[in-house]
Amino acid sequence: MSFFHIVVVAAVVAAIGAIAWFVMPKGKNQTLLRTAALLTLTCCYLMWAITYLAQLHPLIKPRRSDLRAEY
Amino acid sequence: MSSNYPSLFRSEEMSLVQLYIPSEVAHDTISELAEMGNFQFKDLNPSLTSFQRPFTPRLRRLAEMARRLRLFRSQITGLSPTLGIPPLAAVPPFTTVGPRAQNAYDELEEKLKEHERRLTDMNKSWEELGRRKSELEEKRWVLRETAGFFNEAEHRHTEIRTSFDESDNAPLLEHAAEYGNLPGETGLSGFDLEFVSGTIERSRMPTFERILWRVLRGNLYMNYSEIEEPFVDPTSGKETHKDVFIIFAHGEELLAKIRKVAESMGGTLYNIDSSQDKRADALREVSARLEDVDTVLYNMGQTRRVELSKVAEQLEAWTDAVRREEEIFKTLNLLSYDQGRKTLVAEGWCPSRDITAIQLGLRRAMDTAGTSVPAILSELRTHQTPPTFHRTNKFTEGFQTLIDSYGIATYQEVNPGLYAVITFPFLFAVMFGDIGHGILMFLTAAAMIFWEKQIAKGGVNENLETFFFGRYLIVLMGAFSIYTGFMYNDIFSKSLHIFNSAWEWPHNATGLVEAIPTGHRYAIGMDPGWHGADNALIFNNSYKMKLSIILGVIHMTFAICLQVPNHLHFKKYLNIYAEFIPQMLFFHSIFGYLVICIVYKWSIDWSQASSAPPGLLNMLIYMFLSPGTIEPGTQLFAGQAFIQVVLLLIALVCVPWMLALKPYMLWKEHNRIKAQGYHGLTGQENGGGERHSTEHLDEEEEEVGMAVTESSDDEHPFDMGDIIVHQVIHTIEFCLGCISNTASYLRLWALSLAHAQLSEVLWSMTLDLALEYEGGVIGGGVFVFFMFAVWFAGTIAILCVMEGLSAFLHALRLHWVEANGKHYMAGGYPFTPLTFANLGAEEEQ
Repeated sequence: MSFFHIVVVAAVVAAIGAIAWFVMPKGKNQTLLRTAALLTLTCCYLMWAITYLAQLHPLIKPRRSDLRAEY
Repeated sequence: MSSNYPSLFRSEEMSLVQLYIPSEVAHDTISELAEMGNFQFKDLNPSLTSFQRPFTPRLRRLAEMARRLRLFRSQITGLSPTLGIPPLAAVPPFTTVGPRAQNAYDELEEKLKEHERRLTDMNKSWEELGRRKSELEEKRWVLRETAGFFNEAEHRHTEIRTSFDESDNAPLLEHAAEYGNLPGETGLSGFDLEFVSGTIERSRMPTFERILWRVLRGNLYMNYSEIEEPFVDPTSGKETHKDVFIIFAHGEELLAKIRKVAESMGGTLYNIDSSQDKRADALREVSARLEDVDTVLYNMGQTRRVELSKVAEQLEAWTDAVRREEEIFKTLNLLSYDQGRKTLVAEGWCPSRDITAIQLGLRRAMDTAGTSVPAILSELRTHQTPPTFHRTNKFTEGFQTLIDSYGIATYQEVNPGLYAVITFPFLFAVMFGDIGHGILMFLTAAAMIFWEKQIAKGGVNENLETFFFGRYLIVLMGAFSIYTGFMYNDIFSKSLHIFNSAWEWPHNATGLVEAIPTGHRYAIGMDPGWHGADNALIFNNSYKMKLSIILGVIHMTFAICLQVPNHLHFKKYLNIYAEFIPQMLFFHSIFGYLVICIVYKWSIDWSQASSAPPGLLNMLIYMFLSPGTIEPGTQLFAGQAFIQVVLLLIALVCVPWMLALKPYMLWKEHNRIKAQGYHGLTGQENGGGERHSTEHLDEEEEEVGMAVTESSDDEHPFDMGDIIVHQVIHTIEFCLGCISNTASYLRLWALSLAHAQLSEVLWSMTLDLALEYEGGVIGGGVFVFFMFAVWFAGTIAILCVMEGLSAFLHALRLHWVEANGKHYMAGGYPFTPLTFANLGAEEEQ
C-alpha cells in the first residue's frame, strides 16, 4: 500500500514485456506482435497505476445520506 | 533497417523496373502480372491521347462485347420465372491465356454477336406480336363494351319508334331517308346516327370529353366504360388503364372532327359495324386471332428462354474473361512499342522483395504462351519518389485504413498505423470504459470474426459492411473496454466488489455519514466504496481529468519520439537537434512537469504533511504569471520556485532554438556549396550523374531511359524566404499546439464521464424502477420484463452504438490531430498495382 507497489508492478510488467519481445515467433508478423504486446502492457499498466495512485492517499472520503438503518 | 520480413513499420522498399516483353508473350505476361498483383505500370505514352494508342480498337471491340454481356444479363434477370446464372466457380473456365486465347476471344465475339442478333430478332417480333395482341385485345373490349351501348340505344330507339308509330308519323321518317342513306343506319332502319368508337387512356378521358363538348358544341352523345384489366406494354412493362368510348354524332364533318381529336389525344379508333350480326362475327374473328397470337407468343417465349438459358450457362465465365481482357489491353496501351525489335517496353514500380517472384512469373508466362523468349526484367535507378505500399492482412487492414484516410504515408516513413493497432482501441476504451458494454461489443465483433467466411460469402448489407470491415478493430475496442471498465469498476453502471475495499460504511447509521477508512487499498481499479456516494463525482472528476492529462502527455511524447527514426532514416540529422530536442524540452518543461507534479501529489500522504495540498491548475498558471514566487501555503515541494524558473527559461530558450537554428544551418550549408562553385547545379548535378549511368547501362534504350531521368530533375531551388516562413509556422504551430492538444486530451475525461452518467441514468429510469416496484408477483414480473426490454434496447442503441460512434470519432481525432500532427508527414501516394482481384467491383457500385 504505497508507492513501492507501483515500482514492483512496473518491474514485473517490464519483465513480461522483455519475455514477450523474445518469445514472439519470427515471421512477417513479428514486428506487429512485438509492438502490440509492448503497447498493450504499457497501456494497461498505466491505466492501473494511475487508478491505484489516485486512491493511494485520498484527500476526501466517500459520503452518502441514503443508508438505511438495517444495513 | 532492412529486415527479412515485411512489416508495417515502414512502407515496402520499391524498385523502378523495366520489362522488355517480346510481343508474342506480351498478353500472357501482363495477365500473369495482374494475377500476382504486385506491379504498378507507368504510362510511357503520356503524350498520346487514348485514340492514338495502339490497342484502342481492340478495347472498343471488348467494350462492345461487355455491352452485349450486360444486355444478356439484364434480359436474363428480367425473365419472369427467374433463370439462375451459375456462379463463376461452377462453370468451366474460359481460356484467357496461351496461344489459343486470341482465337477464343475472336470466337467469343462472333458467338456473342450471333446471340445478340438472334435475341434482337426475337425481341423485335416479340414486340411486334405484343403490340398486335394488345390491339386485338382492345378491339375485343371495344366490341364487347359497345355491344352494351348499342343494345341500350336500340332499345330506346324502338321505344321512340313505337311512340312515333302510334302517333302515325311515318312520313317524317321516309322523308328523312330522302336526304341520303347513312352508313350507320344500314342494319337498323331509322337508326340514323353515325358513331366513332375506340379506346383512350383513362387519365385523358375527362379532358377528351370536355374538348369534344366544346368542339361539337354539345352535338354529340357520348358513352364510355372502363376496362378493368390494365394493358401491359410489351417492351417497357408499364401498365396503362384504358376506357372504351363510343360517340354518336351527326354529319361527316363532325365525325371527322371527333376522329381528329381522338387521335391527337393518343386514342385508338376501331371500326365496328352497327349491325349486331356483323359485330358478333367480328368478335369471333378477333377472339380466334387472339388465340393464334397467344400460341405464337408462347412458342416464341419458350425459344427465347432456351436461347437465354444457353447464354446464362456461360455468362459468368464470359464476363470474367472479357473484364480480364479489358484490363490487359488497357495496360498494354501504357507500354511503349519498339518497332524494330518487335518488343514492348514496360516500366513500373514493384516491391523490391517481390522481384524474384516476378521473374518466376515472367517464366511462367513464357511457358503458357508456348514460346522460348521470356520477358526481361531490369532494375532502373531513379530519383522519383516511389509509391507507398504497406502489406496489410485482414487484421491490420482496418487500422491502416484509419491512418490512410488521414493521409498516405511518405515513402518509407514511420507508419503510425502500426501503433494505432493498440493505441486506438485503448484511447477508445478510456472513453467507453464499461465491462458490460465492452463484453457486448467484444462478443458482437468476435461473432463476426468467427463466421467471417460465411458472412463474406453471403455478402453484407451496406450499413453493416463498415462494421464488418472493422471487425478486428471492434474486437480490440471491446476487449480494452472490458479492461478499462474493470478499472473504472463499472458494469452497466453497477460496481464489482472483489478486493478489500478501503472504505467501510458505519453500521446502523442514518442521515449523512462518512465512510470509515479500513486501511486497505483497493488493489485493481476504482474502489467500490465510491459507488453511490454523494461525492463520487468529485472524486471521479479529479481522477479522470488527471488520467487524461497523463495519458495525453505520454501519447504525445511517444508521437514526438517517432520523428527520430524518420530523421535517422532520411539522414536529416539536423532535424534531430534543431527540431526534436527543443520540442521535447519545450513540451516537458511545461507538461512533463505537470505530470510529475500530479504523480508526486498523489504519492504524498497529505494527512501527515504540514501544509494543505495545493491546487495544481493554479500552480501551473502562476508558474507563468509570477515566476519565481510561490504563494505561502501552496508549496508542493522544497525548491519549487527555483525549479519552475529554470523550466520556464528552458521553454523560453527552446522557442528561438526551434525558430532560428534550422534556417541558419541550411543557409550556411547553401553558402558552403555556393562557395565551391556549384551554385544552381545542386539539383542537376545529382540527376545528371544518374542520367549518365543509366545511359551507359542501357545505351540502346535511350528514349526510355531519358523519360525516367528527365522527370526526376525537379529538385527545388534554394529559397531562404520559403524556409523561414515554413519554420515560423511550424514553430508557432508546435508551441500553441502543445497547450491546445494537451487540453484536447481532456475529451477522454469528458466522454468517459458522460458515458458513465448516461448508463446510470438509463439504469435508474428503467430497471431500477421495475425492481423497486411493489405490485404483486405477476404485475411486478411483467413490469420487470418490459423494463428490461427498454433498458436493453437503450443499452444497445444509445450506449453501445451512439456513444461508441462518438468515442470512436474522438479517438480518431486524437490520433489524426494530436498524435499524427507531431510526426506524420503523409506526403506519399498509394501503390496501385494491376490486379484481377477486384475485377468488376466498380461496375457493381
